[in-house]
Amino acid sequence: MRLPSALRGGVFVALLVSMPMLGLQHWFLNLLVFVLMYATMSSAWNLVGGFAGYPSLGHAAFFGIGAYTLALFFKDQVLATGYEPFLLLPVVGLVGALIGWPIALISMRTRADVFAIVTITFLFVVQTLAFNLHDLTGGSQGAALPIPPFAAGQYELPFYYVMVALLLFTMGLTFATMRSKVGLSLVSIRADEDKARGVGVRVIGVKVLAFSVSVGITAMVGAVWAYYESFIYPQFAVDPLITIAMVLMTFLGGRGTLWGPVLGAVILESGQQVLTYQLGAVQLYLIVYALLFLVIILLLPRGILPTIEDRLRQRRRSRRTEAPAAVWPEDPAIPSKADTVTTRGGGAA
Amino acid sequence: MQQSNRLWRKGVVAVIAGAVVLTLGACASSSNDAGATASASSKAPLVIGASISLTGDFADSGKAVKRGYDLWAAEVNAKGGVLGRKVTMKLVDDASSPTQVVSNYQNLINRDKVDLVFGPFSSLLTVPASQVAKRYSYAFLEPAGGGPKVFAQKLDNLFFVQPAPVVKSGDVFADWILSLPADKRPKTAAYTELDDPFAQPIAENIRTRFEAAGIKTVYQQVYPAETQDFSAIMAKVVAANPDVLVGGTQNEDAYAQVKTLVQLKFSPKFMFLSNGANSPLEFPTKVGPQNTAGIMSAGDWFPGSTAAGSAGFEAAYIKANGGTADTIDNSSAEAFATGQLIEAVAAKTGKIDNATIITSLHQGEWPTVLGNLSWGADGAPSGSFNLIQWQNGKLVPVFPAATAKATPVYPKPNWGG
Amino acid sequence: MHALIQGVILGILTGGVYALMASGQTLIFGIMKVVNLAQGAMVIMAAYLSYQLFTTFGMDPFLAIPITTLLMFGLGVGVELLFLRPLRREDKSELSLLVTFAIALLIEGVLSVTWGTTYRSINTTYANSSWTLWGYQITVVRFWAFVLSLVALGLLFWLLNRTRFGRAVRATVQNPESARLLGVEAQWVSALGFGLGAATAAAAGSIYGLLYPFTPGSHYDLISRLLSIVVLGGLGSVGGAVIAAVIVSTSSAIVAATISPAWSEMTFFVILILVLLIRPQGLFGSVNRGAI
Repeated sequence: MRLPSALRGGVFVALLVSMPMLGLQHWFLNLLVFVLMYATMSSAWNLVGGFAGYPSLGHAAFFGIGAYTLALFFKDQVLATGYEPFLLLPVVGLVGALIGWPIALISMRTRADVFAIVTITFLFVVQTLAFNLHDLTGGSQGAALPIPPFAAGQYELPFYYVMVALLLFTMGLTFATMRSKVGLSLVSIRADEDKARGVGVRVIGVKVLAFSVSVGITAMVGAVWAYYESFIYPQFAVDPLITIAMVLMTFLGGRGTLWGPVLGAVILESGQQVLTYQLGAVQLYLIVYALLFLVIILLLPRGILPTIEDRLRQRRRSRRTEAPAAVWPEDPAIPSKADTVTTRGGGAA
Repeated sequence: MQQSNRLWRKGVVAVIAGAVVLTLGACASSSNDAGATASASSKAPLVIGASISLTGDFADSGKAVKRGYDLWAAEVNAKGGVLGRKVTMKLVDDASSPTQVVSNYQNLINRDKVDLVFGPFSSLLTVPASQVAKRYSYAFLEPAGGGPKVFAQKLDNLFFVQPAPVVKSGDVFADWILSLPADKRPKTAAYTELDDPFAQPIAENIRTRFEAAGIKTVYQQVYPAETQDFSAIMAKVVAANPDVLVGGTQNEDAYAQVKTLVQLKFSPKFMFLSNGANSPLEFPTKVGPQNTAGIMSAGDWFPGSTAAGSAGFEAAYIKANGGTADTIDNSSAEAFATGQLIEAVAAKTGKIDNATIITSLHQGEWPTVLGNLSWGADGAPSGSFNLIQWQNGKLVPVFPAATAKATPVYPKPNWGG
Repeated sequence: MHALIQGVILGILTGGVYALMASGQTLIFGIMKVVNLAQGAMVIMAAYLSYQLFTTFGMDPFLAIPITTLLMFGLGVGVELLFLRPLRREDKSELSLLVTFAIALLIEGVLSVTWGTTYRSINTTYANSSWTLWGYQITVVRFWAFVLSLVALGLLFWLLNRTRFGRAVRATVQNPESARLLGVEAQWVSALGFGLGAATAAAAGSIYGLLYPFTPGSHYDLISRLLSIVVLGGLGSVGGAVIAAVIVSTSSAIVAATISPAWSEMTFFVILILVLLIRPQGLFGSVNRGAI
């Protein structure tokens, strides 16, 4: 059981690591870097929005915080190897998580609606601060990051590998969470928070932890992005469209799944970049995003992967009756008759 | 456990499939490419790529830039092309996004292998794009990214196609004020500055020069881009009673400031707005034609200019797009000038590869519809703008004398007449 | 001092418009427990409609209000029927946020395609005139906007308190199950309620277009302000929203006048955080478990 899934994971890692060796062109590596960024961010968002069921609409604020933190650290510096910013990423992640902690504490005390309100408003506050705190951020003039001294021929590679590492880290974290007590707590919160509190789940602690980790990762991606662009402006570093993309990708692929966000990112980010380049002439992409969103929410509310899983389950059940198997409860709102949940230590969900 | 295993399998298969499709797409399109290489025979088309904001926040100016590029391409092809090669413009949309603009220039340079590139619309997008061009040693002529951060990069392949860095557009106003006899000069000044990479440095530049010359600053306020209500700010301006109001503005805030001052019934003796007042159609529409008299701004191109190729440009533009000379957006003129530079380099050196362009443009002066342009090592142009003023419902250049069509009117007439 | 009082006057006048917008938003929440993130976009859409009516027919925005209100009412009902009703009850609170957000984006996209992204404003002949009262300046437009907002709010109050529909709405807000037992058709109330919320956005939108230049992206700023206002007022309380709107608007204007315009944007967020820390249910919200 364990071995095959580890093998699949291994195939994925091997694929990612070896992609650049295929002699791919610069523009394609460039595309991959952005796809990986969104895959990581969507996976991070999934922890809060997918597993816990708290749709954060302000994650982009932390993207911006990560971007500006890196810019601040490296203000006016000349780099020796160019890898220094990457080494600083864990610190950036920590900064993001530390800022996210009090935000989560205040906004997650109550229900999901208020949480969304606070996160959206926080996004605009961060954008306003980015504009107003001239000394820190450069304000509307923007902030420069040092130019990476990588050779033009291999310029994208360091970014690519760092993003691969971040994505694998996030997915590994998700995987570990899914199998742990924290993961079960999150899912129980999503199903019925009051009941969860009633059976002794540390509701607030778990929610805040998920949020802090999620935004910490988002901050790290923001920092890599800033370094890649070499120059950031407040309205782009703290941009609601980034949150929308993350949310949409997670929804498309499947909330609360391991691979869902990655699948959503691959489809949407490459699709969007390619379409804008080839077709671009009209402001259609916003309309397309919105319609896609609505279609997914109404028709495929659980996303691609869980829907596929459901179909398979139905087909198998129609062929023969199966003994109840322990399944990871993807969406407690639709329990299937044969499933039961095994828990690790006390308390049934 | 079986289910989750299968689920993961599906997921991995999907991801791998997606990656394979992408890779196939990559190979397919690069083999389909009919991209011309730089050393092709003189019959191969000269493909010039540019990423423009056709959608998103910069869209309206982006479209004006497109008109300029398209117009130039049509004009030069009618004359036989550049060095016998027909010019093809490959214009793509960056949706006013810096992420997309980086990808666009990557695609243009490395996938479609265009011969040359022109720059995108604003400084905000120019900085990341210029880095991509630099990496692959492409010349980067750009008509619309002239903020200080662009030149701070010190790229030798970058050329800003306007007479001077944007920050200098206030200098010409300061030049004129300081050229007035001491008793006619303003004694006090107020500064209202939009928090923006262009507007604020312009006003600050003027302030430094004015303060050095002894003009006292009685009020200064930087306001954020979302400011919609100027009553508070302008009320303070009125209370400070300055002789000259210097506005570091873009369009909307310029209109709002004027409207508010009209409501407050305050008319300063001198008034300069770095932007907004230089749009020939919008400004009188927004603030009322009776309120424009005497307001000054800065510009590079103006209808009736005698700069190289300007008359032809005007005629051709009107023929292609309709309207009158007054409806021509400066961005179109600037884009047109970008193309003119390519023509000029080809004519002078007989070659049109990126290295030649870079070395040639760093020397001497180059004639365009914006006047004669020349650049320093960091891409900042070394000329100056024109001071323009509203007189009798029209915008006319009034300073410096060489390009002036009228004498400056001062003090500024009161509102409504 | 002068600047301070001028700021207060400005705040109160502007507060009227925000009160109108916020009342619709909080009403929707009260009836359906849905936070309508598209409220700002609906306001802007109405602003564009008024703008178009003004430029094509020369119709004064104030007069255009009945037209835009009817149109947006229909839109609101349509949105509820098409997109919100199909949501399953379990997912509703989480997904409705995203659905209304998607609607906001859709509206923004359609507006961008139709009207482009240049700033528009409705420039009536009286747009620049103002009165001066005891040395304080009151713009004509703002004054009439305030009066009209009061009229519209008055209509809303009349509707909620004196009609059968209004009673049904209030019953549903207080206790949906009992209301249903008493024969109130919850489905109808939801749809009409959403339509009503959209209609208030429409009225506010015509007024908004007179006061400020707008672009399709303006709805982001608006929605953040509105959210703070409804939280302060208490989700579901129309009266609370009105009072909160005036408070937030006035504080914002005071900060702009006394400290700096750059920081007035933050005022509403600061207020939001304070409310959540001190009194999460807002001024007049209910203290139901899980309700706020």
